[in-house]
Amino acid sequence: MQLEQRRQRTLAASIRWQMGIFGAYFAQFIKTRLAYRMDFFVDTFGVMVSIIIQLAVLTTLFGKVTALQGWTFEQVLFIYGFSLVPLGIFNIISVNLYQFADRYLIQGKFDRVLLRPVNTLAQVLCESFNVSGLNEIVLGTAIVIWSGMRMQLEVGALDVLAVLVMGPTAALVYLGVFLGITSISFWIEDKMGIAPPVYNVIRFSRYPLTIYSLPVRVLLTFVLPFAWVAFYPASWFIGEGNLHSVAALTPLVGLVVFSGAVLLWRRGVANYTSTGS
Amino acid sequence: MSEPLIRVRDLTRDYRLMDKREGVMGGFVDLLRPRWRTLRAVEDVCFDIDPGEMVGYIGANGAGKSTTIKMLTGILTPTGGQVTVGGMVPWKQRRQYTRHIGAVFGQRTQLWWDLAVVESFRLLQKIYEVDDATYTRQMEIFDDLLGVNEFLHQPVRKLSLGQRMRCDLAAALLHRPRILFLDEPTIGLDVVAKENVRLFLKEIRDRDGVTVILTTHDLGDIEQLCDRVIIIDKGRVHYDGELDDLRQRTGHRVRLTVDLREPTTVAALEAAVSGLPVTWDQEEGLRHVAEFRRQDVAGAEVIKRLVNACPVSDLRLAEPDIEEIVREIYRDAKNGATAVSTNDGAAS
Repeated sequence: MQLEQRRQRTLAASIRWQMGIFGAYFAQFIKTRLAYRMDFFVDTFGVMVSIIIQLAVLTTLFGKVTALQGWTFEQVLFIYGFSLVPLGIFNIISVNLYQFADRYLIQGKFDRVLLRPVNTLAQVLCESFNVSGLNEIVLGTAIVIWSGMRMQLEVGALDVLAVLVMGPTAALVYLGVFLGITSISFWIEDKMGIAPPVYNVIRFSRYPLTIYSLPVRVLLTFVLPFAWVAFYPASWFIGEGNLHSVAALTPLVGLVVFSGAVLLWRRGVANYTSTGS
Repeated sequence: MSEPLIRVRDLTRDYRLMDKREGVMGGFVDLLRPRWRTLRAVEDVCFDIDPGEMVGYIGANGAGKSTTIKMLTGILTPTGGQVTVGGMVPWKQRRQYTRHIGAVFGQRTQLWWDLAVVESFRLLQKIYEVDDATYTRQMEIFDDLLGVNEFLHQPVRKLSLGQRMRCDLAAALLHRPRILFLDEPTIGLDVVAKENVRLFLKEIRDRDGVTVILTTHDLGDIEQLCDRVIIIDKGRVHYDGELDDLRQRTGHRVRLTVDLREPTTVAALEAAVSGLPVTWDQEEGLRHVAEFRRQDVAGAEVIKRLVNACPVSDLRLAEPDIEEIVREIYRDAKNGATAVSTNDGAAS
């Protein structure tokens, strides 16, 4: 007896189906979150306070010094704001990556994921969201616009397109790095995790790369390529000389990092051992 | 002969385990020089299952039942061997394949913990692309047979075990799968809940012709639901055949429980049935148990002689339960006797 093979879906139909499922998951998530309304407000408040404090530090700093290794206050702020947008996008969808080893592998919830006819990674990412990431997106956008206006940047149609492409692809850099780290847990039961220290490295990506020593610059460009999240793409607007063209590589870096991580994830899924019973 | 629905050949799965050393220092040593050991959980398992069969897959804890089921559902990738289900390889064509199967793991729910039951169903409807008409019809059936409507709006985490199991069954069948895998579907349920689950499974089989493979510790499940059993121990198949044949193999050992009105010695009981191949055992106080094979002696003969000779207050005649039969199969296997009577062609 043969089981019926499904017709191949057209690309449009496939995207529509995936988006439909994404929407359904998201709607469910919102419903469960509404049950814990206070959480949402506390989260939102927390993120805003922490960003405002960091901005205050920057402002105070630039009250004393007018430039940071050749970078003006507005430029530093521009990069800072730029870094928040992909971070926000990443934070919204990445919550389950942190809990993955514990909740999905050790508790065996991954069994259920494998029983459903939906991409495994999409399911894991969609089963929880962190809505407070929206704050980072809104605030980051506001800072970019404000500092851009102060610098009197001229923005053409191509620049708008660049932002729309670079924002999401820069988020892929974050997602790729952390997905790679998460995938390792298919082989190594790692409860402490290397994710938190790597997460802390993200802070370095918020400032102009040139203020760091060479090893740090190499680290942020090639090893944990967080420089591609803000500094390089922001250079499209404020960079000089060849940095301007390097910025155009951002989507490529994002796709390469993310694709590599997805391959590792797939190997991991094939290596999944489930739990005892 | 028609082609089987499920075809399993030489299925093998190893686990790599780390032997942990004791103590804190041991932990550090483990970090640097881990000691690995390979455990073969499933070894060269072969069987065929035809459409519409209801097969019990049984064995002790750690015998390899769940590992087999997980390979059949595409959750685990085997170390060796082949599985094809309706022409598909579960772990290779996972997304295609999972549309045709349903699975319930008794120990763990497949539903979303925080969501109301109905929301879980709605989400599954989207995922499996079940049209509204089918959805409504399925939900009616589930309410009819499982009474799910009474807790449709409660979050899964607030359900009792029995309610949760009913929901899990319904969720696994919402998309009308051809094959249903059940891993310990009645574990932890009370008698009534167990009965409900069994009745439901029978009904679903008769109605939709769903092929069912179930693992269980509860031999009542097997006796009531399955025509065929596969017994596995230490990763290997020890028996594959009809449930009736299995009963036959053990020679219909019958247990006669006797309650007496006043204390009697075992010797007196033996004297009462002297000449008949019956073994006696005192269970407690006034209760004694006689064991004999049906083909050696008729139950009526034993009872007649007993009642005439001893002050019997009550008698109960019991067929052997599967648990004993399974134990016997294990014992045979340990003694080196091959107990495998594989289904046609499965061993070829």
